[in-house]
Amino acid sequence: MFLLNLSLAEFLTILGALSGLVLALYLFDRSRRRQVVPTLRFWVTSQRLVPVTHRRKIQQPLSLILQLIGIALLLLAIAQLRWGTPDRTSRDHVLILDTSAWMGASIGESTLMDIARSTARSWLRAVPPSDRIMVVRADSLIAPATAFETNRDILLDAIRESRPSSAALNLDRAIAFASRVLKMNARRIGEIVLVASGRVTSEEAEALRTVPKNVRFLRVPDEVENCGLRKIGLRRPATDSDVWEIFISVRNYGLKPQTLPVALQFGNAPAGSRTITVGPGAEQSVTFEYRTRAAGWLEARLLTKDAFPQDDRAVLELPAQKVLRVAVYSENPELLRPVLAATPRVEAAFLSPSQYQPKPNADIVVIDGFRPSSPPQIASLWIEPPPGAAPIPVRTTDLNTEIKRWRTDHMLGAGLRAAGVQLESAQVYSPAKGDIAVAETDAGPVILARPGDIKTIVIGFHPMRSELRYELTTPLLFANILHWMSPEIFRRWELNAGSVGTVSVPLSNDTDASSVSVVSDGMRPVPFTIEAGMLRFFTGTPSNVRVLTGDREVVYSLTLPEVAEARWDPPKEVLTGIPSSYPAPPASGDLWRWLAVAGASILLLEWFLFGRGGRVAASSRDAVRAVRLPWIGPRRKNALRRAS
Amino acid sequence: MPQQPLIERSFLEKLERLTIHWQQSFAGIVGGHNSSRFSGPGQEFLDHRHFHQGDDLRAINWRAYLRLEKLFLKMFQIEPRVPVRLLLDISLSMTNGSPSKFDYARKLAAALCYVALVRLDTISVQPFSDTLLDPFPCSGGRHRFAPVMNFLTGLRPEGRTNYFEVARRFVSNNPQRGLLIIISDYLDDSDCSKPIQHMADFGHEVLLVHLWAEEDRTPPWTGELDLEDVETGAQLQISLDDEARQAYTEAFDTFARELQELAMRNGGRYVGLPVSTPIEEAVFGPLARTKAVVG
Repeated sequence: MFLLNLSLAEFLTILGALSGLVLALYLFDRSRRRQVVPTLRFWVTSQRLVPVTHRRKIQQPLSLILQLIGIALLLLAIAQLRWGTPDRTSRDHVLILDTSAWMGASIGESTLMDIARSTARSWLRAVPPSDRIMVVRADSLIAPATAFETNRDILLDAIRESRPSSAALNLDRAIAFASRVLKMNARRIGEIVLVASGRVTSEEAEALRTVPKNVRFLRVPDEVENCGLRKIGLRRPATDSDVWEIFISVRNYGLKPQTLPVALQFGNAPAGSRTITVGPGAEQSVTFEYRTRAAGWLEARLLTKDAFPQDDRAVLELPAQKVLRVAVYSENPELLRPVLAATPRVEAAFLSPSQYQPKPNADIVVIDGFRPSSPPQIASLWIEPPPGAAPIPVRTTDLNTEIKRWRTDHMLGAGLRAAGVQLESAQVYSPAKGDIAVAETDAGPVILARPGDIKTIVIGFHPMRSELRYELTTPLLFANILHWMSPEIFRRWELNAGSVGTVSVPLSNDTDASSVSVVSDGMRPVPFTIEAGMLRFFTGTPSNVRVLTGDREVVYSLTLPEVAEARWDPPKEVLTGIPSSYPAPPASGDLWRWLAVAGASILLLEWFLFGRGGRVAASSRDAVRAVRLPWIGPRRKNALRRAS
Repeated sequence: MPQQPLIERSFLEKLERLTIHWQQSFAGIVGGHNSSRFSGPGQEFLDHRHFHQGDDLRAINWRAYLRLEKLFLKMFQIEPRVPVRLLLDISLSMTNGSPSKFDYARKLAAALCYVALVRLDTISVQPFSDTLLDPFPCSGGRHRFAPVMNFLTGLRPEGRTNYFEVARRFVSNNPQRGLLIIISDYLDDSDCSKPIQHMADFGHEVLLVHLWAEEDRTPPWTGELDLEDVETGAQLQISLDDEARQAYTEAFDTFARELQELAMRNGGRYVGLPVSTPIEEAVFGPLARTKAVVG
């Protein structure tokens, strides 16, 4: 005999509390209350005097005992007192069904998922009908498909509707989840049944050396040959901005070495092909170079037929390489041609001042030493403008001076180190609030930048006519100026194709964490963390994710299915195989209905004998009935006789 | 905070048409409004009787003398002025109830006083508890009602009821018979019927106005009770259930019935009033039905 809902300690605690409460209420109900009345003559007349003694003594012990027995029986009904022992009741199991991407692999006509479903159904038939089962789908995320159910139709539906996902199996988390669910919700803990291929990451295989004792592993045989793309990376080298460097990583998940061609297509046109040989369980990388400025779809493909074709193909969208168009109005274009040619992605057009237009067909205009007829309507660089023509007021003209300071903490002065550069003549400007002094002499700023909708930079001297033309500072200064004026042109791109799950992105040391953003398709933000220079985010579904860090943009095309590389060998204590049948638990007796009826009956009897119900019955004046009821006490009989 | 008046003005206006009525015939000087079987200088012919020496010669029926040669005296019916005395119980037992029986009794006394004043009757209010206190006579019309109100308002409940002492003092202080109105709960440890019978035996017409609160008749409590008499402080421990409550109510009703029989036996009247009855309804209902007041 045992309690199903409560432990013995809980039962005794609640019963004690209720008994104490009932006793207190009983004594309170039987305690005397003082009442002031106008006269006592009618009370004496009514002849209902009672002895004064035993004021606090229990005066109707039978009433109290009946109440306590009734409450105890009702509490036993709530606690579900049952015959037999707890071991003889039905059990609760958790069925973990592997729905990782690998379960989409084919063996003959069927997939691993079909075999897993069939195995799960076979195990389900062996379980006693009274056992409750929860179906849990496990990949990188753990999702219960049902609650603890005895209805086999619901469980079979959940098994039938399970599909392979794009992520790898996180078996460790699935077992932990099942253990927690059994501990918290199970009436009697049963088994954790794994229907899985056992493909996990190598780290997880190490962590799963010890598992709970109630784990039963039903392996789905997956001895198949498969090679797949693991990762694809694209970036433009610093030396040639028109070229994409393409890295492709291929892994052999099978047991035999494989020789297979890797083909590359850009815009449905062949872009390269290599043949590689990959050993069993090994991973090999192959590199391509492809020159294009155009945007388009790049497709990498393994030209093979294996059991898991989903990881044989990956597609990335390449962005176009943009060019910065600069219109240079100068009488001496040869002076500026070298510094502009030194910056890649810049396309400079040299024009005479007479051809000046306020809004030329360019992104930036350079005005070299002349007064334009009207101010430019795009970003502009002014070089030694004539007196009165400068867009920023000139404070003075400094002769035979030298540059003392560079604004190295700003991107306009990044990397500029030239000191003591002599200038024969330089215009010194009066900066307004928000202006950026890039270079200064003792008299004030000689290179001044003004941010805004239309960015403007003015140089108070001609760098190619001063000593500065011999310094490395000059091309760097022009590169910084162009970068500041049009940063999106100089954004560095990296493209990666990978699999869903957790993605780690290393960040450079100078990355400002507040400028980092991670967005998915539709510019929806993706949660991420930055820890020890590493950005991490997680996505459970195939999607494209962009990581923006200042002038760098990394695009992840997470469309490859994630396939774990290791195989989990369960410890010896883990149960395996489907048992022929579980021992059917003998039916344990449910007593709660009888207990509830008995408790309610006793409380009703007490109410009839001692409570208001008895008084109501007394008014019926049926003394004959009272005499015929032998279990009614003498006091009650007397009362009924008097009433009659 | 101004004290609330015992009776509203609108109620007083309704009382204007009422008259205190007594059933017995009392001797007295003319000026009342209830006819009497005693003859006197009235207008209404009553009877003839033989002339005796000392009778008023003006009342001799000379026509009968001429015809019969005997002296007959004409007697006339009079409406004598009868004293009305109102005994008001102010013992501590009158303090319970909601509203309290004491307040209810004061309001009822004020209403009867106003009726008497309007009809130019003479009424005296005498509070009592363990003894009979000094009377407050009031007469002379409605404009003398304010002192009555002040007197009633100034009363405070005190003492325990002692009807024997009250009856003894009343009889000795009031030799002239008249209407005796007793407003009380009649809750005296000793039997109050004998003192009332004593006062009735002296020729007073008794009008017993019996007040009770609901809890006096039907106690609302249940269980083990320590009861304390508010007047004597005596205590009683009882177990009160529905059966005991029923027995109590029966005892109370028996007591009320005995009071009624006492009044009827002596030619008087009995009016039982629970204090839950509005005072206006009490005057125009039970009091009017028993002809304590007539319109």
